[in-house]
Amino acid sequence: MIAVWLSELVVFALVVAGILAERPAALAATGGALVAAAALLRFAPPLRTALAAGFARHRAAALAGGAVLALALPLALRASPYWTFVATLALLYVTIGQGLNLQIGTAGVINLAGAAFAGLGGYSVGLLTLSAGWPAWLALLMAPWIAVTVGAVLFVPILKTRGHYLALVTIAFGFIFNILMNNLEFTGGPQGLKNIPTLRLFGWAFTSKPALAGVELPAHANFYYAALLVAGLTTWALRRLHDSWLGLALNTLRDDEIAARCCGVSLTRGKLLAFSIGNLCIGLGGALYAVMVGFVSPPDFDFGYSLVMLSVVIIGGVDSIPGVVLGACLLLPLPERFRFLHEYRLLLYGAVIVVMLLYRPRGLWPAAVRRYR
Amino acid sequence: MLELRGVSTRYGPITMLRSVSLSLAEGRIACLLGPNGAGKTTLIRTILGIVKPVEGEILFEGRRIDRLRTHEIVALGIGVVPEGRRVFPRMTVEENLRMGAFVEWAPADLAARRDRVFSLFPRLAERRRQKAATMSGGEQAMLAVGRALMGRPKLLLLDEPSLGLAPVLVEQLFTMAQAINRSGTTVFLVEQNARKTLEIAHHGFLLQKGEIAGSGSAAELAASPIVRHAYLRA
Repeated sequence: MIAVWLSELVVFALVVAGILAERPAALAATGGALVAAAALLRFAPPLRTALAAGFARHRAAALAGGAVLALALPLALRASPYWTFVATLALLYVTIGQGLNLQIGTAGVINLAGAAFAGLGGYSVGLLTLSAGWPAWLALLMAPWIAVTVGAVLFVPILKTRGHYLALVTIAFGFIFNILMNNLEFTGGPQGLKNIPTLRLFGWAFTSKPALAGVELPAHANFYYAALLVAGLTTWALRRLHDSWLGLALNTLRDDEIAARCCGVSLTRGKLLAFSIGNLCIGLGGALYAVMVGFVSPPDFDFGYSLVMLSVVIIGGVDSIPGVVLGACLLLPLPERFRFLHEYRLLLYGAVIVVMLLYRPRGLWPAAVRRYR
Repeated sequence: MLELRGVSTRYGPITMLRSVSLSLAEGRIACLLGPNGAGKTTLIRTILGIVKPVEGEILFEGRRIDRLRTHEIVALGIGVVPEGRRVFPRMTVEENLRMGAFVEWAPADLAARRDRVFSLFPRLAERRRQKAATMSGGEQAMLAVGRALMGRPKLLLLDEPSLGLAPVLVEQLFTMAQAINRSGTTVFLVEQNARKTLEIAHHGFLLQKGEIAGSGSAAELAASPIVRHAYLRA
C-alpha cells in the first residue's frame, strides 16, 4: 500500500516539476527523470508486474491516493493561474472525452462534431444567461440538454446512413454549426458572446480566490474543483454504464449490427441512447468551459477541437474509461509545453494519431475485459 | 409454429423471394435446401424482419410478425445462428453468451444457462475469457450456437452452420442440432449439404430461384428427382 502511494507521489512530483520548471536545465532534468522512470518500467518487467499487482490489490487505496493528489494539485500550482487553467481544461476534456468515448468507443457511433456539441452547451449557457437572464448555475444545468436535443434531431439522418457516411453527417454538422454561429445575429456573429456571468453557488462567486489549508489559490482553482467533481462523477457514472448489461449491449452495436439485432438489441434505441448520453457529457463540458472563460466565439468550437477530442479517445484507448482520463491529462497540458510550434501543434495531434493507430491501435491504456461479480 | 404465406421479398428491383409459403411443425427439425443464390439467407432475413417482405404474411405461434422489428421478433422466442456465424469478435466468449440471453434482459438463471452451454460445448468453458476473434472457425460456430441457446428459444434458426467447417465438426454440429431438438426446440436448418441435412431433418423444403420447388418429409425429399439429381448425385 505504501509502495502504491509512493509511486503515485513520485509521478505527481515529477509532473508538477515538469509543469513548473522554467529554466531549460530544470525542464531537461524533470523530463529526463520521467523518461528514466518510464524506461525503468518498460525494461524491468518484475518491477512492473509488482507495481501492477500492488495497484490491483489496493485499488481503493490507490484511488483515494489519486483523489488526494488531484485535490492537492492547485496547491502545487498556486503560483501559476495559467497552469491551474490548463489543468482545469484537461479535466473538462475528461468529461467530454468520456461522452465521446461512449459514442465512438462503446457504441460505434462515430461523432466527429464533438466541438459543435460542446459549442451547443457553451452557447446555450451564454444565451440563457445574457439574453434570458438565467443565473449561471441554472443555465449550466440546462445547457447540456440543449446539446442532447439538437443531437437527437440530427440523429434521424444519422440513423439512415451506415458506416462512414455517419461520420460524414457529423462532420457536416460541425461545419454547419460553425457557419451558423458566425452568421447568426443573436449569437453575436464572429464576435461571439462576451461577459457571460460567472458561477455563484451559495453566495460564493467563482471569481473570488479560494483558500485551501490557509493558502490562497488563484481564482481558477474554483473551476478546477468544479471540473474535478464533474469529471469524477461522469467517469464514475460512465464506468458503471460501461460495465453493465447496457454497456455490453452497446458494444454489440459496434461489433456487428446484424448479430446485435439477432440478439434482441434495438439498433435505434441503443445508438440514440449512447449518442444522447455522450452529448450530455460533451455539452456539459462545453457549458462549464463557457462559464469559466466567460466568453464563447465560433473559433473556440471549430473542427480542430473535434479532432483534439477524438485524439483524447484514440490515444487514451478506445472504449477504455481510464484511458480517456489518461489521454486528456496528457494531450491537453503537453502541447502547452510545445507552444513554440504555434499553429503546427494541430499537425502534432495529427501525427500522434497516425503513429498511435499504426503502432498502438488500442491506445495507451487499452480497455480491460469487464470484471463480473 | 412458424408459417409463411405467400411471402415475396425484393432488393430494389430484384425479386429475391416469390410467393413463398411454408410451415414448420412444432418440435421437429425442418430443413431448407437450395443452391447458392436461391434466396435461403434472404428467407431467414425476411423471417427476422431484417428485410421486410413486400407481400404475404409471416406467423409465429399464430401471431403475425412481419410488421415487427428484429429485436421484437427474436424476443418472441426465436434464436438465430446467422450466416457466417457473426460472433462478436471483440467480446469474450462469456460476453457473447451473455448477449444471447439479452432478449430477457437479465434472467435469474443466467449462470445455469451458461453452464448448460458449457456442458454442451466444453471447449467454450476453456476459452471463456478469450476474445471471440481469436478462436478457430469451429469454436466460433460452437459459440454462435451456444449464444443462440442462451435465450432459451422455442425456434432455432441455423443459417448454413456447416459452412467452412471440417467434416468432423459438421458431424458434431448436426448431432448437436439433433440433441437440441430432442430437448424440445424446433429447429430450422438452412443448408447446402443435402445428404447430411436430410439424415437428421424430419421434413423440409427446396428453394430454387426464390421459389419453393418442392417440399415434404425428409424421405420424400431424398427420393424426389430434383433433389436426387441436383444434390445427392445419385
